[in-house]
Amino acid sequence: MIKIINESFDLENEFKRLNSSENGAYSFFLGTVRSEIRSLNKNIKGIFLECYEELAYTQLDKIRNIALKKWKLSECLIIHRIGKLNLGEKIVLIITSSSHRTDSIEACEFVIDSLKIDVAFWKFHLLDNGEKEIVPQKKKDKEKILKWREIIN
Amino acid sequence: MNITLKYFSWIRVKLKKSHDFIELNQTTSFKKLKSNLISKDPIFQEIFSDKSVKYFLNLNELEDENKILNNGDVLAFLPPVTGG
Repeated sequence: MIKIINESFDLENEFKRLNSSENGAYSFFLGTVRSEIRSLNKNIKGIFLECYEELAYTQLDKIRNIALKKWKLSECLIIHRIGKLNLGEKIVLIITSSSHRTDSIEACEFVIDSLKIDVAFWKFHLLDNGEKEIVPQKKKDKEKILKWREIIN
Repeated sequence: MNITLKYFSWIRVKLKKSHDFIELNQTTSFKKLKSNLISKDPIFQEIFSDKSVKYFLNLNELEDENKILNNGDVLAFLPPVTGG
């Protein structure tokens, strides 16, 4: 299941969608808005997430299908929010389920690392001085996805 | 022939718009379209010079500059993504 939504989501409800007696393991990744200081006298009061939804759905579907093929998963759920979010709010949720923990843990990490590099979302910091600051892509995120590409291919 | 251009992130901010609808009189390649856009607005020079920008034609990454554009195509300009 893949969802790109404006509103928040409930962790327990999302878990219930996947919960099955056939699973022995669930891995969760929950990304939230943090108060990172980007530079002197600039504090973040929230973020704005822009998305090319039509493309993002196809990219997330591709990542999810790779995960389902590579690891023994019973399900892989991806929820990503868009729009304006305040500090502490939930941004992204990934839940993978499997019989044994290794599959769900590795797949969950693969999905979030891939999402950060290969899906059409753009983050802006909303600063307390009223400005919007474009968040640059991180070098370490690019390096992580190269490692996964070696494993997947 | 009509083409839709979609702009995201800093490109959208710089151009102060999220999309354009453009009309072309004849069949055009992506390469020719780039020249055409640069001649109309020099901001496109900066956009096309940035090698980190990716282009998606009808949801597929466009890597061949000589690709011929067709009526109804949607061309998206994507700076490096930063979701999650």
